[in-house]
Amino acid sequence: MPPFNKVLVANRGEIAIRVMKAVKEMGMKAVAVYSDADKYSPHVKYADEAYWIGPPPALESYLNIERIIDAAEKAHADAVHPGYGFLSENASFVEAVEKAGMVFIGPSASVMNRIKDKLEGKMIARKAGVPTSPGPLTPIENVDEALKIAGEIGYPIMLKAAGGGAGVGIIKVDNPSELAEAFERSKRLAYSAFGRAEIYIEKAAIKPKHIETQLIGDKYGNYVVSFERECTIQRRNQKLIEEAPSPSIKEEERKEIIEASIRFGKEINYFTLGTMEFVFSPVTREFYFLEINKRVQVEHTVTEFITGIDLVKLQIRLAAGEYLPFSQEDLKIRGHAIQFRINAEDPLNNFTPQSGYITYYKEPTGPGVRVDSGIELGSWVPPYYDPLVSKLIVYGQSRDYAIQVGLRALNDYKIGGVKTTIPLYKLILQDPDFWEGNFTTAYISEKAEYFTTKLKEEQEIQIAIAISIYNRGLMKKKKTEQKVPISTSNGKSNWKTYGIIFQSSPRVLW
Amino acid sequence: MRLFRLYSELGDMYLVSYEQSNNSLDKIKIGDKNYEVKYLGSGNRENEYLFEINGKKYYVFIESDGTLIFNHQDFLRLDKVTEIPIKGEERVEEIIRGKEGEIVSPLFGRVVKIRVKEGDAVNKGQPLLSIEAMKAETVISSPIGGIVQKILIKEGQGVKKGDILVVIK
Repeated sequence: MPPFNKVLVANRGEIAIRVMKAVKEMGMKAVAVYSDADKYSPHVKYADEAYWIGPPPALESYLNIERIIDAAEKAHADAVHPGYGFLSENASFVEAVEKAGMVFIGPSASVMNRIKDKLEGKMIARKAGVPTSPGPLTPIENVDEALKIAGEIGYPIMLKAAGGGAGVGIIKVDNPSELAEAFERSKRLAYSAFGRAEIYIEKAAIKPKHIETQLIGDKYGNYVVSFERECTIQRRNQKLIEEAPSPSIKEEERKEIIEASIRFGKEINYFTLGTMEFVFSPVTREFYFLEINKRVQVEHTVTEFITGIDLVKLQIRLAAGEYLPFSQEDLKIRGHAIQFRINAEDPLNNFTPQSGYITYYKEPTGPGVRVDSGIELGSWVPPYYDPLVSKLIVYGQSRDYAIQVGLRALNDYKIGGVKTTIPLYKLILQDPDFWEGNFTTAYISEKAEYFTTKLKEEQEIQIAIAISIYNRGLMKKKKTEQKVPISTSNGKSNWKTYGIIFQSSPRVLW
Repeated sequence: MRLFRLYSELGDMYLVSYEQSNNSLDKIKIGDKNYEVKYLGSGNRENEYLFEINGKKYYVFIESDGTLIFNHQDFLRLDKVTEIPIKGEERVEEIIRGKEGEIVSPLFGRVVKIRVKEGDAVNKGQPLLSIEAMKAETVISSPIGGIVQKILIKEGQGVKKGDILVVIK
């Protein structure tokens, strides 16, 4: 029995299609919503029904609670899946969905409201015995206090905005002389971005890596953690490559964060999917809790590969009030998975987002390859939303095998019309430092110069060959593909023509 | 020696000098880099041609829509190729330098704002004008420092990819 009849997916692009696939497989109807910019998008075509919700800017469409609830009511949906981003962690949206008599596929509004800011999250983490970074749990009043605390916990330290998100207002300070200026700057940034100037201090991890655990809970206090993911390859605090399991941690460390994550879930009565984000220092081998993401993650796919669980289906079942169908002991890690976020961005030009029509599209297939794409040939990448257009996920029996599959699949993946991050990923996969897991969150920025020279050289070689082809007249020489003559005017059946063509075809050699 | 301008489908423009030194060797200069392209002849498969640069072999396949596939991995889609005429006495280096000051439109759109006047001194990276396409504004910055010699467009005017917008000396 499917838990719902009709599920509205309040999102766009690849994640909307991913969720709709789960909805369809479970025997339910999928409803899409779209803005003017997405009128012809694949996620709209893929749904069983689709409703228009407003003009292109996200604030008037995908972030417009009223319009989305309106569409859900018109469609007689009985559940709403928020995907990631947009309204996925918005407590007022959850309340509006519940008020309209529908089920929100995610945690309840009261759980969303439990952790209002990062400092509060850290407080709960300490209470639950989850490892956190040293530093007080109160905002810092002035520079003198900041200097005193920083002296106690030791440099390097991080200044963070209590009400912040998306990496804004976070500044790393290496020594006392930089602190005063950084403190004022962080305060200013935090105030202009979030309207709150509360800053707190914590110890910074040395050679930081980003590791997160996948927490799964039902409404009855049962929890499992489907292991960890490592998302260290980032640029400007935005993840690019994610993998599971992490190549950096030991078995007992894995056990430690799994148990800590379950304690955290119990502390706040969390249910459905949640992601506990940590910074990990391979030098001191310490974990520092960062925050909990209360939604399905972009990188849930790698966990699905190594555990064999369909996380989105599970999320829908748990939201409907079903029990967790397995326990921690049932879960095993099998093989290794890597996800590449295919962003419409120019890696040669500081990752500026690209917009345009897809003029050429070839998707990789074959063993160990999964593509979660939100685009197809002829679709438009609008400039209004996230530049993530597709995700390539590869799987192998070990990390080395997964890297081999990854390079092959990236070579097979050809997207024309917009610049993408694919050429950059090909270079990363050929870097010995990546093979050995020898990287930190600063990997991309540290190697930026090497990557740009290499990418530029590759481009110039292609241009050089192109001009040579042009001047040798090879473009004109190319043969046009054999066309099958189709004529209906002579009154004869086409089957006859086809038959003659295939009998006389020189291509049939056996 | 001949001079070409190559426009990629993605809005990049390359100024390339080309010289065929013999039947199978081309000397090509892009920016300040020199490339020697060896043409090894056509491959075994239809529409396949073999090249060699810096000792590396490239199997280039030309698809029916003109897409070039390199070693079955990378691909290139060109928008157009134009030849820049060279008069007898002009030196190619000078032309290249002159052409570098020609700012061309990277996309199809409408000019919404011109931020400089003829005769203005501009620095490298300074915004010159903005072009609106699909409701998004793209700012065109100067690739070199110099004096704005000529502005060939007006505000509100529609431009095609590859149109010359501003000339800087």
